[in-house]
Amino acid sequence: MNHRLLVSIIGLSGLIAPSAYPQAAKTNSTYTPPRTPDGQPDLQGIWNSATITTLERPAELAGKAFFTPQEAVAYEKKFAVDANRDVRGSNGATDVAGAYNQGWFDRGTKVVPSLRTSLVTNPPDGKIPYSAEGQKRLADAAEHTRAHYTDGPEELTLADRCILWRTAGPPMLPGPYNSNYQIFQTPGYVVIAVEMIHDVRFIPLDGRPHLPPNMKQWLGDSRGHWEGNTLVVDTTNFTEKPRFLGTTGKLHLTERFTRTSADAITYEFTVDDPAMFSKPWSASFPLNRSQGPIYEYACHEGNYAVPGILGGARKAERETSR
Amino acid sequence: MRIKLVLTSLLVTAGLTTGLSVVPLWAHHAFTAEFDGNKPVKLRGTVTKMEWINPHAWIHVDVKDADGKVTNWMVECGSPNTLLRRGMNKTSVTAGMEIVVEGYMSKDGSNKANGRDVTFPDGKKLFLGSSNTAAESQEK
Repeated sequence: MNHRLLVSIIGLSGLIAPSAYPQAAKTNSTYTPPRTPDGQPDLQGIWNSATITTLERPAELAGKAFFTPQEAVAYEKKFAVDANRDVRGSNGATDVAGAYNQGWFDRGTKVVPSLRTSLVTNPPDGKIPYSAEGQKRLADAAEHTRAHYTDGPEELTLADRCILWRTAGPPMLPGPYNSNYQIFQTPGYVVIAVEMIHDVRFIPLDGRPHLPPNMKQWLGDSRGHWEGNTLVVDTTNFTEKPRFLGTTGKLHLTERFTRTSADAITYEFTVDDPAMFSKPWSASFPLNRSQGPIYEYACHEGNYAVPGILGGARKAERETSR
Repeated sequence: MRIKLVLTSLLVTAGLTTGLSVVPLWAHHAFTAEFDGNKPVKLRGTVTKMEWINPHAWIHVDVKDADGKVTNWMVECGSPNTLLRRGMNKTSVTAGMEIVVEGYMSKDGSNKANGRDVTFPDGKKLFLGSSNTAAESQEK
């Protein structure tokens, strides 16, 4: 699968975090959020996470945890030029690979307000701490994909098949477009509608236990509680099938939502999967209020890509066998 | 080669690198898997309809060849949500409009192409919307 490849690249980059690092900083906002009728801090509304800051720190920024304001402006200007998808590739192969013109993207134009050079906050080098075992998993998955990507629909990526978008979460990351969320609250639940592939997360707040360990779900099994004004969401019971950076059924995700102003929520998460990472790691970025609306991204509605990709592969096989 | 390109695309998507001038960027699916970089097409024709459909919109266009034979092509565009947010709507591309498409032909041999560049005959690009919800919300 492509997302296996994705993680394999990260893994193969061989970037190992320092041996010790502080726990994820928790947002201590002085902002007092409005309350829902039943007294919860109010997170409701439509929010957008798009940013040009990348999950991991780019190699050219190694050793630099934060931009200065001037550097941030320069980075944003450079991104606007370099990431212009209307620029053509130099040959057919690169041109078709990059053939998504500007009309495809809604990635935002700004780095995160903290000016951190990665969304990853811990470890401090901004790199995901893959373990040797994790890297091997990724390499094996990449090898499998090389050999089998077009064998049949089961081998296409989750995104190809409109099952799950790799950034849709949980954890929820900015993606190339549709990085929009609508949060609803009732006395017993927080519900998050994720625009990308129209997933909906139901998060009970009543303290019920997680599902039995043998019950695995694509979005895991989330439980929420309030710590002051912060919503803390604990998610386990993820499927064994790789759905996020190669993570396994051992993935334990903790997310924190803290309203920091009328127009922003700070979203933080910590990923712990001993099968993939040498230690837990964390990331943080804001969810910014959006005028909305969000739309139903009924992804499989006209998903001509699946017959297109597989039909192309079968045609190539017929031509080769002649 | 395809795998290499996919890898490159994913590398960019993963945010491991930035600042390359022309880099593939994987969106919903890999164009390299669906379209043939060795089969560039340039289509000039008349729009018959635009499908505002998920995950990606498609423009249908009648293209007349030198012998006068008309073939209907489908041209893949961005997602409806994004196109709308970038300023397009149902009146932007309507039946009867003439457009020019530079793209690549589908690997399965059907009359489909990706909408690499879509312009009107005067050279104006189709997807030049400036609306950007993310930018709006961040610039508050």
